[in-house]
Amino acid sequence: MEVYETEEEQVAAIKRWWKENGTSTIVGVVVGIILITGWNFWKGNVKEQAYQASALYDQLQASMSKGNNESVQKIYDKISAEHAGSAYESYAALLLAKTKVQEKDLEAAKSILEKQMNSASSNELKNIARLRFIKLLYATGENEKGLQLIAESDQVSAKGFSASYDELKGDLYVALDRLGEARTAYQSALREGAKSPLLQFKLDDITSAEIIAE
Amino acid sequence: MLLKIREKSQGVFAWIILLLICVPFALWGIQNYIGGGSEAAVVTVGGKEFFQQDLNRAYAQYSQNLQGANFDEKVVKKQALDKLIKDEVLWQHVKDQGLVVTDKAARDFIKGLEYFQTDGKFNKKQYKAMLASQRMSPDEFVSKIKKALVMEQFQHSIVGSGFATEKDIENFFKIQNQKRDVEIANVALEKVEEQPSDEEIASFYQQNQNAFQTVEQVAIEYVELSLDQLAKQVEPSETQLLAYYEEHKDLYTTKERRKISHILFAFDKDAGNDKVQLERALKAKRELADKEFSVLATEVSDDKLTASKGGDLGLFNIGVMEKAFEDAARSLQLNQVSEPVKSAFGYHLIKVTELVPGEVKPFSQVKKELRTAYQRAQAETTFYELGETLTEVSYENPDSLQAVSDALGIKITKTKLFSKSPKIDGSSKEELVSRPEIINAAFSEDVLKGNNSSLIELGDDRSLVLRVIEHKPAEVKPLKDVKPFIIAKIMNDKAREIAADKAKAIKAAVSSGKTLAELANQYNLKIQKMPDVSRSSGDLPWQVSQAIFKAPKPADGKPVTILVADTSGAQTVINILSVTEGVMTESDKAKGKLAETNLANAFGQADFNAALNSLQANADITFKATE
Repeated sequence: MEVYETEEEQVAAIKRWWKENGTSTIVGVVVGIILITGWNFWKGNVKEQAYQASALYDQLQASMSKGNNESVQKIYDKISAEHAGSAYESYAALLLAKTKVQEKDLEAAKSILEKQMNSASSNELKNIARLRFIKLLYATGENEKGLQLIAESDQVSAKGFSASYDELKGDLYVALDRLGEARTAYQSALREGAKSPLLQFKLDDITSAEIIAE
Repeated sequence: MLLKIREKSQGVFAWIILLLICVPFALWGIQNYIGGGSEAAVVTVGGKEFFQQDLNRAYAQYSQNLQGANFDEKVVKKQALDKLIKDEVLWQHVKDQGLVVTDKAARDFIKGLEYFQTDGKFNKKQYKAMLASQRMSPDEFVSKIKKALVMEQFQHSIVGSGFATEKDIENFFKIQNQKRDVEIANVALEKVEEQPSDEEIASFYQQNQNAFQTVEQVAIEYVELSLDQLAKQVEPSETQLLAYYEEHKDLYTTKERRKISHILFAFDKDAGNDKVQLERALKAKRELADKEFSVLATEVSDDKLTASKGGDLGLFNIGVMEKAFEDAARSLQLNQVSEPVKSAFGYHLIKVTELVPGEVKPFSQVKKELRTAYQRAQAETTFYELGETLTEVSYENPDSLQAVSDALGIKITKTKLFSKSPKIDGSSKEELVSRPEIINAAFSEDVLKGNNSSLIELGDDRSLVLRVIEHKPAEVKPLKDVKPFIIAKIMNDKAREIAADKAKAIKAAVSSGKTLAELANQYNLKIQKMPDVSRSSGDLPWQVSQAIFKAPKPADGKPVTILVADTSGAQTVINILSVTEGVMTESDKAKGKLAETNLANAFGQADFNAALNSLQANADITFKATE
């Protein structure tokens, strides 16, 4: 580093430096300011979007508890159009699917859940949508397809949902009258700590004659 | 290094170097302090560290919710930790998912809370007061509420969207209202007449030695030193009490309460106008003749902070203000205004607005308290001295307590026999021998050998030395004492065996094609026909109806036979003839959507639990290595 003898020399050095680098310094500062403002603006915008989606979702919940399914559909459409890809879109879709089941329009519920099964905002929601989609397949007698979907589910991401999948698998096997496999599936669900109140009853209901025979 | 930087700080780029060094340092420093310094985190959840104090707080909150119900502290601590982790995992997830709650939603929620309402309306005063009692600022509270609401959005999206299809409802009632057609025959225990042989009795005794053990018991004697007892023996004289009173007068004195106000005439920054301010002060003092002090303070005081409150400085405490100010404030009478007093800030006019003089309670009034305090203080010294004597003498004379008893002039006390868990097995109800300190000492190896124990301290004001006077080790009761019990047991076992064999024979006969009715005579059975047994019918013992519905269903018209034994060993033979799958009954239909709602909710809840498990399984959670 240079050391300057007098003040004049120092001032001259600064002036020289400014002449060489002044323009780029100004450009740098201006670009910096633009970047920061843009970033803040963008963040604010994201936040604002989230607030809007949150408020819409609250409205949807309220409509749902009043049983106003028409309004649920309308709000869902709005969320889906304006906040596509957000968690709120997935949440709204799950609730919308429920209204379709209540209206006994299982096909409509299926197509909503099938979409979420692939595109929901989180791994957990994808699994929940998948489980519910399979439940609807079971309700409409597409048992083989349900079993296939369970077999295809990704073991790693389904961690935590295995008891639910196993219980559902048991239901599907019972429907296909494959009781041995159903028993194995229910027992596995129990081992994994399924909390479903009906599970033990369902298992007891298909007790094998050989077990008791001693 | 720092010195070199300072020397060169005239150089153009020096500050950049400084900045480079200081900034990372500053950031590192902050993180380190926020994290709680060198203490290691107990658990880290996705980068967020939790320390022992966070855990303690979570535990306190969690156990508060249990409202004093009986619980095992270890279990509750574990649950509190689990909840802390679950909440944090969930919180990080919802943040990550971009969930937010609007101010309006949070406000509406708070206003709807009953705690903050009077006559069904939100009461702002009550809201603030309740938060203050929890030492929480409104901002803090609102942010907590927002956090909770955001997590609720997530929860609701899963639980609230759970549904039950017609098929689910049908399946539910199929099982719930299922009916099974059964016939039941009881095989009672028959009395066995044959007495067991001596060999049988002897062999049973040999094989079940553990069942015939007595518990180990001891009886002890002890010499106890008690502060309360010693205190009662102290008889203070009037002079001693008076001296004690003088010595501890501050304990019997209430402090003076002195509230002050002031008006400040502040110096300007460029000094030199001291005189001007002094004159202003003097002029103000004169104006006080026909103006309230507080009004004047509001008008002219340069201390803007207190001016609005009429100059009020609150309670006066020694050691806060400058000396001159303090002296003036201390010497004033109630409502008197001081002459201008000079401090570093300027000239002050001071007024005492409230004065409750300190008071010393007279000797006669506090004599009783004094006596107790004096007795205890005196006894404390004796207590520690005698404690040392107790330790020494009992150690020097390990074979008896007589020596300590003589030395201290305290009588020896004896107890009855007691076990290691006297309260549980009822061997003693005495408070002393159920104390773990006493039990540990009494059953210690050294004491059982016949030595005095070391000094046992029961809190601050009781200590004792004990020795064992009688020791009954655990032993197997002699055969003759337990013989009647063994005979009864063997005979009962035989009766059970006979009943079980009989039940098995009946079952075998049924499976070979006979009906229960055909077997009734041979086995002396009373057959009870029960058509349409349901899960909820209470006519049968619980374990019988449970077994009926756990049994396989009869196939090809062949009944299924099961055996259930009760605790006495009596057997029940159950023949399941047919199963009728359940349907919705009229009364179920009358309840409308109840079943659907309940099932949907249960399914949603199960999905939510699964989602939490999944989040936790995928979260990055590390526990402190030592645990």
